[in-house]
Amino acid sequence: MSDVVIKFQDVSKVYKLYSSTRKRLLGVFIKKIKYKKKNAVDNMSFEIQRGDSVALFGKNGAGKSTVLKMITGVAFPTSGEITVNGRVSALLELTSGFDQEMTGRENIYLKGHILGLKDNEIKSLENTIVEFSELNDYIDQPVRTYSSGMKARLGFAINVNIKPEILIVDEALSVGDAAFRTKCQKKINELIHSENITLLFVTHQMAVAEEFCKRGIVMKDGKIEFDGPVHEASEFYKKMYAIKK
Amino acid sequence: MNKISAFFKSYADSFTTNMREHFENIPQVFKLSVADLKKTYTGAALGWAWAVIKPIVNIFVYWFAIAIGLRQGGDVNGYPYILWLICGIIPWFYMSEAITGGTDCIRKYSYLVTKMKYPVTTIPTFTNLSKLFVHLLITIAVVLIFWIAGYPPTIYLLQLPLYTILMFLFFNAWALFAGLVSAMSKDFSNLVKSFNVAVFWLSGILWNIENVKDSPVVYSLMMLNPVTFICYGYRNCFVNGTWFFEQPMRLCYFLGWYLFMGLLSLWAHKKLRKEIPDVLM
Repeated sequence: MSDVVIKFQDVSKVYKLYSSTRKRLLGVFIKKIKYKKKNAVDNMSFEIQRGDSVALFGKNGAGKSTVLKMITGVAFPTSGEITVNGRVSALLELTSGFDQEMTGRENIYLKGHILGLKDNEIKSLENTIVEFSELNDYIDQPVRTYSSGMKARLGFAINVNIKPEILIVDEALSVGDAAFRTKCQKKINELIHSENITLLFVTHQMAVAEEFCKRGIVMKDGKIEFDGPVHEASEFYKKMYAIKK
Repeated sequence: MNKISAFFKSYADSFTTNMREHFENIPQVFKLSVADLKKTYTGAALGWAWAVIKPIVNIFVYWFAIAIGLRQGGDVNGYPYILWLICGIIPWFYMSEAITGGTDCIRKYSYLVTKMKYPVTTIPTFTNLSKLFVHLLITIAVVLIFWIAGYPPTIYLLQLPLYTILMFLFFNAWALFAGLVSAMSKDFSNLVKSFNVAVFWLSGILWNIENVKDSPVVYSLMMLNPVTFICYGYRNCFVNGTWFFEQPMRLCYFLGWYLFMGLLSLWAHKKLRKEIPDVLM
């Protein structure tokens, strides 16, 4: 049975660029204030089935992150419709999604609550998360005292362990040391193969993408240039990039 | 005709989103407000003491300036000026914090907007709630101070929760509006901070507005001020011995302001909700 978990229908996202923050403030009250439009995502349509693993390729500024943010529900499309079925766990900028003053443990609860888990559900996952993050005693220290590697580890540990249905990984695997990176890759592999989750993956490392994903989407200037098996997608991307070079 | 109904619908949608986000997240709102409270007062050596030191210093300075320096501040209604000052200035401490803190709340919690899918309309609520906890403690302290000074609670104190709730609701609407607008640009936050002092001096917190009763225009303008309404509401409970229903016009003005502020916050929400994640990134 294949059901659609993510569906984009003619989705566009326009960022408004004002020449100054003062202009932006005035723009709230006055319609006439001029701004430049940046089409980050341009009339995109695609579907992703449950259990799919999709790699998103594209140069910086191609609109990958915007797409992921819209799936997460953090950003909103300017036009078009997005349907997402299932709990989204997003590894977007792992180091920054914490309350700096709360401890690591409190942040686990905070994130869990926001994702709709109950207290006892989080409690049962707590130890797994703490163990996975390898933070030991630091888990009860405020997050602001963490190094970026520690934050990334905690972020990763929370997001992969709260039983995600859709997992979004945005360059997250480039942080941490080699040992932890291997551990993360193993965990992701385990999630894809055993728990039938849907994976969306953004990376510039083709090899890693090809290892995890079956399908690849190549984006350029907010449009889909190619959508197909991951090997062909990465070939296409390499060629496109080579020509540009 | 369609345009008009769409206009009303957009406000209604914003309102229902607001209500839904609150009702679905009541425990979360409480947890975050406690966390916000802890965050404000831990990390300094004196910690919680600051919640008390700050108001005491303020009250002392104002009392000194008015009563000692300017030789003003006679008894009001048989109560010493200092007591009259305290019971009116206590709500102002809350309002002042809510005016400036509310303006900064979404910026302060930007990670809830940009990094996860969080019900944004509850951010002003939990930041204000954490300030309300402190306010409630201080209010209890004030009741005790009055008692110790020889003025035990009167029956009029029963209406205090009404004023507290009105104050909380009004500044929640304000914080949603101001928080969203200042998330778009810091200028708004600076604007509010510079006007905060003006609001204080124009609201009859240090001086009795009954003194300007002889110029009806100024007096009625003062009565229009929602901050004045709350301060004098508190004074009704502590020193004036007046019921809120004895001043129906004041209540109506205030409710009018509340309606206006509520609509303003819904307007900001429907206009800016989808834009602020792009700006705060």
